[in-house]
Amino acid sequence: MVRKLLAFLSVYYAHMTVYRGEILFWLLSGLAPFFFMAIWVAAAREGLTDRDPLSFARYFFFVFAARQLQVVWVTWTLSEEIKNGALAFKLLKPLDPLWHYLAQHLAERGVRLPMILVLVGVFWLLYPGALVWTGPGALFLGLLASLLGFLLNFFVAYVLGLLALWLEESTDLYNAWYVLFMLFSGYLAPLDLYPEAVRAFLFWTPFPYLAYLPAALWAGEPVAGAGRAFGVLAGWTLLAWLLARGLWRAGLRRFSAMGA
Amino acid sequence: MEDVVVAEDLSKTYLVAEKDPGFLGTLRHFVRRRYKRIEAVKGVSFRLRPGEIVGFLGPNGAGKTTTLKMLAGLLYPSRGRVRVLGYAPFERRPGFLKRITLVMGNKAQLLWDLPVLDTLRINAAVYDIPEPEYRRRVERFAAMLEIEAILTQPVRKLSLGERMKAELMAALLHHPRVLFLDEPTLGLDVNAQAAVRDFVRRYAREEGATVLLTSHYMADIEALAERVILIHRGRLLFDGGLRALVARFAPYKEVRLDLEAPLEPAALAPYGEVVGVEGQSARLLVEKPRLTAAVARMLAALPVRDLAVEEPPLEEVIGRVFREGRLG
Repeated sequence: MVRKLLAFLSVYYAHMTVYRGEILFWLLSGLAPFFFMAIWVAAAREGLTDRDPLSFARYFFFVFAARQLQVVWVTWTLSEEIKNGALAFKLLKPLDPLWHYLAQHLAERGVRLPMILVLVGVFWLLYPGALVWTGPGALFLGLLASLLGFLLNFFVAYVLGLLALWLEESTDLYNAWYVLFMLFSGYLAPLDLYPEAVRAFLFWTPFPYLAYLPAALWAGEPVAGAGRAFGVLAGWTLLAWLLARGLWRAGLRRFSAMGA
Repeated sequence: MEDVVVAEDLSKTYLVAEKDPGFLGTLRHFVRRRYKRIEAVKGVSFRLRPGEIVGFLGPNGAGKTTTLKMLAGLLYPSRGRVRVLGYAPFERRPGFLKRITLVMGNKAQLLWDLPVLDTLRINAAVYDIPEPEYRRRVERFAAMLEIEAILTQPVRKLSLGERMKAELMAALLHHPRVLFLDEPTLGLDVNAQAAVRDFVRRYAREEGATVLLTSHYMADIEALAERVILIHRGRLLFDGGLRALVARFAPYKEVRLDLEAPLEPAALAPYGEVVGVEGQSARLLVEKPRLTAAVARMLAALPVRDLAVEEPPLEEVIGRVFREGRLG
């Protein structure tokens, strides 16, 4: 399996470098957290919140970073390959197609990462003092949350892509998921600004773990019940994986019945 | 030896959504879907022995591709029994997938923006082909197909012929024992068609592989297959040797005439069925029992410079079978 994964990563990395211009635009399209940063920094300067401007700058920068590590497009790829029949070639091979899609995403991160590092440098120059070293523990936990968040996002997107076997078009469903993510993940505002009851409810949903949790960990902000948070995140990721597996099996039966 | 492919009473029925054109049709389609049942394959039975190369023929929509997809495990049959190398294809077990391949002339598995070698590398990893063996196979296939020079070029920069050769290379890299080839020469020029044919023939001979091949080009079938299976509107019309096909469905010979002066088809019609007149050349189909008398009459009555009697082209025979829809 290691040899397979290495071959996949090397080939798909080459594939992604063909689209490096496109990845740059994708990266730029993910700059929305900086827009929200500007709004909240201005609000803090006006004294409209208890947080100081620099903490907003730090928080939203890490929201941006977490989001960059979690970008997925497998809904589009699957939906397209189901419709045009290209999935058939993957089904003819003795390996689960999921590995292809996963390797494509991991390889893309390899192309995206250097670009993110450049943005880190630019941010560091623009907001001196915003980036602080919060220790290896916070760095590791933030990365772990981002990795689990990526897998959760990936399996949800995979499930939505598979729905193309039943629906004629399933990519709009991912947009619906994205809207929920925007509203409830801490992408628009740090969740500590939400009413207590709403926040308590949201922490049982998958959304806060996709932006708020890694950003707060990296920013060195106190995260109440971090252990439980990781447990809920791991639970949602496992559930999404199980759903993806179940739907894949049911989808194959349908694909085999209906054809490409 | 045990049969490699066994298809018994193989049938496949699809439900296809139907939609009327225009805005109203779209609204109706949105509110309530209407489905039509399509019987693509109806009770087809045949067996392939190890090492056989069999031509699978039929007009568009006859059910050829659906049958191939059932044999390759992409579709499960609505009825009947299918076994390939002892496996039920639709279970898609690794042992089965490692020993078969399906090439579709109108679809590609090659990574469009990358060199051919990158797709081959992915396939080598998927099929667990050790590195030295992978290199040996790439070298061998590239030499057989004469595409050594293009392996490092992006697929999108290759000609159609080069792409199909590379596609075959990717499809056979794992040395499958059973090849399902669906129109592998589609759209290729004569030279590329010949190269693909030679490659398939050589691979099948050297590896002892069994091949089921569909093609619209009779030259492919004549060059590769000794046995043909004809399918029309989902039903099997004929299964047997090429010669038997001609004997059964073509009880006539083709007479080629080279004339002193051009003649109207009407002037040739009394001697047989006129299939082509071009300047001073003409082709007629004459029933075998009437052949001697017809030739004698033509030599006596027409300004014949040269006359030849041949078996009719396979295209003619098969076209006639399909037009008449004759059941075997």
